[in-house]
Amino acid sequence: MIIQLKRIKLQTRKAEEAVNITASVEEVVRKSGVKNGLVNVLTSHTSSGLLVTEGIPCLEEDILTHLARLFPEDADYHHRRYLDYDGRLGFNADAHLKSVVGGISCTFPIENGEIVKGSRQTIYFMEYDGPLQRTYLVQVLGE
Amino acid sequence: MIDFHTHPVLIQELREKYPNYERAAREVFYIGNNFQPLETFFLEMDVAGIERAVLLPIDCRRARKTSVSSNEQVAELVGKSRRFVGFASVDPQKKGAERELEAAIRKLGLKGLKLDPALQDFDPKARSAFAVYEAAEALKVPLVIHTGMSWAPGTRLERGHPLALEGALRQFPKLNFVLAHFAWPWVWEAVAMALKYPNVFLDTSCLTYDSPKEFFQFVFSKQIPTTAIERSLRNQIVFGSNYPRVEIKNMAAALRSLNLTEACLRKIFKENAERLLGE
Repeated sequence: MIIQLKRIKLQTRKAEEAVNITASVEEVVRKSGVKNGLVNVLTSHTSSGLLVTEGIPCLEEDILTHLARLFPEDADYHHRRYLDYDGRLGFNADAHLKSVVGGISCTFPIENGEIVKGSRQTIYFMEYDGPLQRTYLVQVLGE
Repeated sequence: MIDFHTHPVLIQELREKYPNYERAAREVFYIGNNFQPLETFFLEMDVAGIERAVLLPIDCRRARKTSVSSNEQVAELVGKSRRFVGFASVDPQKKGAERELEAAIRKLGLKGLKLDPALQDFDPKARSAFAVYEAAEALKVPLVIHTGMSWAPGTRLERGHPLALEGALRQFPKLNFVLAHFAWPWVWEAVAMALKYPNVFLDTSCLTYDSPKEFFQFVFSKQIPTTAIERSLRNQIVFGSNYPRVEIKNMAAALRSLNLTEACLRKIFKENAERLLGE
């Protein structure tokens, strides 16, 4: 049984963006030596997300646009207050809520050393409060 | 476009190089955000439409046992990018503070002075502070001085009252005083001082509750009318974000959300800062 965890840093470059990380997840799986098992991918941050959809720019734009419609930046959020543990105010509730609704992880099976996924399925790291250097986790489990 | 109020306290490259850097951020400046590579700073500026940022250190070695960024660290960052403008900080209660300031300006190439009577724990009306103001005036550099509320634990609110500076700014009329954070909650006092004294500037880095947009709408349309900025203070306000306590992009968007003319915004975002920097 192999259990391998990789922490991968990602520099996001915009306030909001969808970053295709499929290739780097596939590379971790290939290098792990696992032939049959599972790969789990998740973000380490509560104002970012991890999701799977078809890898085309129009959908990337639609996801961000409609999450923003659900959680407008200017809506009334209780989070807008001084957070004494952080020494600063929380005014990014919209980013947190997008993360909650959009999800923070995905799991795929591994078969014969390759991720088993639909041909159009693309793994995205979702930045909702950038630009920031972020970390996402890729854990491979199997034999 | 210039951000006149940033603190280089969460730079990953400096944390790896300087042993006390992380403690200063966590325990003295009191901020819990993750450290970020320098690249994030530039990207944050890009997203906000800001070309240059003034980096402010705070010399609180006597009061807090460490600096919140040192003059040397600021100079090091300025050496990495023309997008940074570095200021110096000295402790007025330390013997030789004036000479230290002169060295920071002449040898390190820093462009202004930053003081924080609350975090540095000194009386801004003391004779020793006046000696530093005099040195800054002689060096022809502006002073950014903390006014208003300070979040840092162990600091006294009274240290940030802007009226404590009235004697100094009368005695040194050629020294430009930038009252940081719009002196919130003493906004009226700060505005009165700016109206009365031409060497008083105010920076916009105020945010104490709600979101940047909500807070700006409150301070700049209810505490004082927006027209007071447009008509009377347009030449004495500079944009400041207080990054990384607040993201630059949010503060810039908040300022742009006010009902100010493009000409007024251009002065606040750029021209007034350039004038202060002698450009």
